Amino acid sequence: MPETKGRIVVIDDDVQLVESVTTLLESVGYEVFSAYRAEKGFELAKQKGPDLILLDVMFAGPPGPDGFEIARRIKQDPDLKETPVVMLSGVKKVLELGYDVTPDDTFMPVEAFIDKPVKPEKLLATIDEVLEEEN
Amino acid sequence: MKLQTKFNLGIIVIFVVLAIGIGALSIHYVNSNTIREAKNRVRIYTRAAWEIHDGKIARIESALEALARTQAIERLLQDPDDDRELTATRDKLERIRQEQEMDILNLLAPDGTVILRSRYPYNTGDNLGSDPIVEQVIAEAQNSSGNVILSQERLDIAGEGLVERALAIGQEPRGMFAGAAVPVVRDGEMIGILEMGALLNGAVEEVDRIRDAVFENETYKGKPVGTATIFMGDLRISTNVLDNQGRRAVGTRVSREVAQQVLENGEPWTGRAYVVDTWYLSQYDPIRNPNGDIIGMFYVGELEQRYLDLRRQAVAMFLSVVVGGMLVAFLTFYFLTRGVVQPIGKLSHATRQLSSGKLTYRVDVERNDELGDLASSFNTMAERLEAQRLEIEENQRRLTELNDELRTTNRNYMEMLGFVSHELKNPLSSAMMSLHTVTDGYLGELSEAQQKSLDSVAQSLQYFQDMVKNYLDLSRLEKGELEVHEQTITLYPRIIEPIIEGLRQALEERGMRVLNNVPEDLQVCADGNLLRIVYDNLLSNAIKYGRQGGKIELDAREENDEVTLRVFNEGEGIPPEKKPELFKKFSRLHSPEHSKEKGTGLGLYICREIVEKHGGEIWADSEEGKWVRFSFTLPRADCPINQGG
Repeated sequence: MPETKGRIVVIDDDVQLVESVTTLLESVGYEVFSAYRAEKGFELAKQKGPDLILLDVMFAGPPGPDGFEIARRIKQDPDLKETPVVMLSGVKKVLELGYDVTPDDTFMPVEAFIDKPVKPEKLLATIDEVLEEEN
Repeated sequence: MKLQTKFNLGIIVIFVVLAIGIGALSIHYVNSNTIREAKNRVRIYTRAAWEIHDGKIARIESALEALARTQAIERLLQDPDDDRELTATRDKLERIRQEQEMDILNLLAPDGTVILRSRYPYNTGDNLGSDPIVEQVIAEAQNSSGNVILSQERLDIAGEGLVERALAIGQEPRGMFAGAAVPVVRDGEMIGILEMGALLNGAVEEVDRIRDAVFENETYKGKPVGTATIFMGDLRISTNVLDNQGRRAVGTRVSREVAQQVLENGEPWTGRAYVVDTWYLSQYDPIRNPNGDIIGMFYVGELEQRYLDLRRQAVAMFLSVVVGGMLVAFLTFYFLTRGVVQPIGKLSHATRQLSSGKLTYRVDVERNDELGDLASSFNTMAERLEAQRLEIEENQRRLTELNDELRTTNRNYMEMLGFVSHELKNPLSSAMMSLHTVTDGYLGELSEAQQKSLDSVAQSLQYFQDMVKNYLDLSRLEKGELEVHEQTITLYPRIIEPIIEGLRQALEERGMRVLNNVPEDLQVCADGNLLRIVYDNLLSNAIKYGRQGGKIELDAREENDEVTLRVFNEGEGIPPEKKPELFKKFSRLHSPEHSKEKGTGLGLYICREIVEKHGGEIWADSEEGKWVRFSFTLPRADCPINQGG
């Protein structure tokens, strides 16, 4: 990869999915860093200072902060607060989980929601959109 | 009213009517019988009294006949001036008169001139030819007898004391005389007439004889049973009726009514008569002189009280027989009906027990008749019912057990299904991701064969994914976990918009567009998560089965107290005969058009379950080959808890 389109941190507990996403993103020129636990992901993001963070909502395994908690921390973090976050869960799913959000909800500190399963085209389009807005 | 009471009242009414009827009949019968009997008897008594009276006169006649044949009479008649003979004969006649207890005994010349009187002062020389008795003898030279009225002059001439006797009774100076006259015949020629008789005024001998002979001088409750009276005109001159002081009630007069019928019309009078101080059943007969003139009355009466008492006794006996008979009949009836009614009562009680569910109740009637049969049939029926109930309860229990087992099995199955589906979800998701990364050419160009082959994998994975999603929903439904948490939800922003957003890619792939006519502020009362499943399924179907490049239209209609929500799409539509199958579990519609698209057969079933849990309905309308429209209703009622937005 001669020139990177940008740096993306993927935080998801689904190893297979992380690999699929990584493969896709790298195939179009992004530099990808991944983490499988929410807190690890936050530390990774702090360390790498990415252009965008892909973040899952639900994390299996030992109890810990969920995706929204991490998103809030990101937005409060002095280094990361400008970094856009794309939630790897559709609004529908988020609503089902009981979070009180609407797609244009300004309270939710994320830039976009993506429904799982997601098709590559859609994922890439969303990321492009968010990054363009940031620039 | 109880059966026994009805029977009793019925029979009492019958008996009372019968008793009144029989009582009235018997009283009437006794009354008319005793009265007729009494009248008959008083008639017989009167006849007997007449016999006594006439017998007395007949005896006078015989005595006179005997006397007429004596030498002494003949001698005196041949020489009336022979003083010695006159005195002797007069002494003899006076003796005879006194022996016969007569008041008058006279010897007359054939023309009626008195030759000899046996009563002091022995007046002679007057003519008695106008006396009806004597008159008849003169005219026919035969015996004559009867009752006549004697004037005061005649009484005065007839002898000492007679006028006084008459006057002593009711100041009446005349007298009533009963007697006879016979001719004295010698050699076929009437040479004289003998006359004898008694003054009835103040006489007691005759009436007392009647009383003693006919009534045997009986008394009843201190009163004489029978009485007799001789009237001169309407005046009592001889009687044994006693007045208040216990004296003979001579000198009183008869009632106007009796006087009129007997004295004026000459008819006997029979009936009740109030004599002095009490009622008598009486007969009054007219007394006529030989010329047929009515000169007085003959009365015989029997004390009515005795008849009244007899009648009362008879009625009392009659009634006591009737009442006693009815009492016996009633008691018999009562015990007979009680014998029927009691078992019926027991059966009725038992039936109530049975109908209230007490199937162990048995009736206790030991009889050899139809009621006994009924009771044993009842018991048999109760036993059967009890046995059947036990059987039903046993079956019910087994069914419940089976049902519980089935429910547990299904639950376990559904839990496993849910678990498996959930576990499949994430790997499928990433497999799809990876596959699309390849098929979309991110990892380099693919040959046509590769592309085709991977498209086929993608389609299978898509089906797999739909199935996993539906199975997850199904398992949640069937585990019964799915409770409806109703909230007031603004339908468009909370439900419809996120779903359309999620399906955007699929819509774009099929070149379809969604037209939303649901008002953005429309609120419904529903469980949001469940309603999302419904819209997700209906919209996914519309995309999957709708016409490529066609239109999907959403709208809502508010009617009365419910909202009808509709999802319309252009497309093949549904044949009418397939409609009933649409919402069944695992129902799939195969059409040539959609042979590629395989449904799980669960989506619409899940929709129906959810809608019905909300108290609504879901149905499909379609014009085959053109369009299809799914509609479902939700109640508009305000939510009990008003949460969310």
